[in-house]
Amino acid sequence: MIGTLAVDLLLVSILIGLAWQVVRGRVLFRAIVFFVAFGLIMAMIWGRLGVPDLALAEAAIGAGLTGALMLGAFRRLVEIDARQAVSGGLRPSPRLSLLLSLLAGLLVAVLGLAGLELRGGSGEAGRAALDSLHLTGLGNPVSAVLLLFRGLDTVFEMLVLLGAFLGARHVAERDRRSGAAIASHRLPMVGALQMTVVPLALVVALHLLRAGANDPGGAFQAGAVLAAGGVLLTLTGRVVPQAQAGLLTRFSLIFGTLMLAGSGIVPLIYGGVLMAPPGKTAIYAIEAAMMVSIGVTLSLLFSASAGLRAVRS
Amino acid sequence: MIDVFALVLLIGGCGFMFAGTVGLLRLPDVYCRLHAQTKADNLGLLLICAALALLSESLLAASLLLLIWLLGLVASTVSAHLIARHARAAERVDRGKGR
Repeated sequence: MIGTLAVDLLLVSILIGLAWQVVRGRVLFRAIVFFVAFGLIMAMIWGRLGVPDLALAEAAIGAGLTGALMLGAFRRLVEIDARQAVSGGLRPSPRLSLLLSLLAGLLVAVLGLAGLELRGGSGEAGRAALDSLHLTGLGNPVSAVLLLFRGLDTVFEMLVLLGAFLGARHVAERDRRSGAAIASHRLPMVGALQMTVVPLALVVALHLLRAGANDPGGAFQAGAVLAAGGVLLTLTGRVVPQAQAGLLTRFSLIFGTLMLAGSGIVPLIYGGVLMAPPGKTAIYAIEAAMMVSIGVTLSLLFSASAGLRAVRS
Repeated sequence: MIDVFALVLLIGGCGFMFAGTVGLLRLPDVYCRLHAQTKADNLGLLLICAALALLSESLLAASLLLLIWLLGLVASTVSAHLIARHARAAERVDRGKGR
């Protein structure tokens, strides 16, 4: 009992210390590294709180992909201003970062207090979801909420992701990156890493997708793991950024949204209700499409390009 | 009996991890640090994974832990190699400037 409390206290104090370093650290590069470590500790804390779905998402998206995106942005910063490379990137304004983090902390505090207030009376939504879980044929309540009970929210989430990608594309358009690979796949060790990790990422993504119905996992985590493979392929130069997207790329960007929204609308035609996909197979198909879309969007977001083309070795 | 064995492995693993971290923080240059960090941490991870595999008493969990260790091994080897390569290249540039 005291042992677990000690572990929890240790985790929380590490988390707060890391957050302080991210906000107050003088050097930008170190702040990024601390942010990635923060994401990993956060994932461990989600795990300790008994929410493995969130822990998976935090580790894959919060620590992994966001970290990769930030390091990519840092690299771009060094390309623009070479002096930043020597100092490790100076912050523009420590006061601004403190102010922004205080505001963010305030927002979290307000939301947290609101959440505590809610706890007494209105657990009904959660209870209703758990009570009608057996009707869906799914074992994982998180997947049931994401795809069925609150499916419309998920459609909008997919659209937000697409909107974020389009916004990033617009910025990247005016400011072409050199696009050179950081570590070429022709180096024997990098080639070996890539040959091991990319197929493994694919296997893990498919496993998360399949597991999502009954156990922790699902399209978002699977898509993020898929994108990790895409990031590695981009970094090692196996795929190169393209200024124009092919038809297949364009289609895979919207595939998930189309499938989810389509399966939500189609039942209306023959007198069903909105957002009620027919059966478990349909849910797997929708999740697979969403995984592809999320994976492709996040990979393209990292490479800051419209499309990717494979390079023959 | 298994518990005692696992405990010994865990303590050993933590010892190696600790030594690796001390090496990372205290050693003078990037090559020494990489050497200490990757060698000690890989061994530490192996001991911890072995202890957890013993405690899990399931072949599936044990093989997954082995896979985790192998992945950690691949990742740390390749990143240590790349960091050392980068440091070496930077050194050459510096020496070129000095002449």
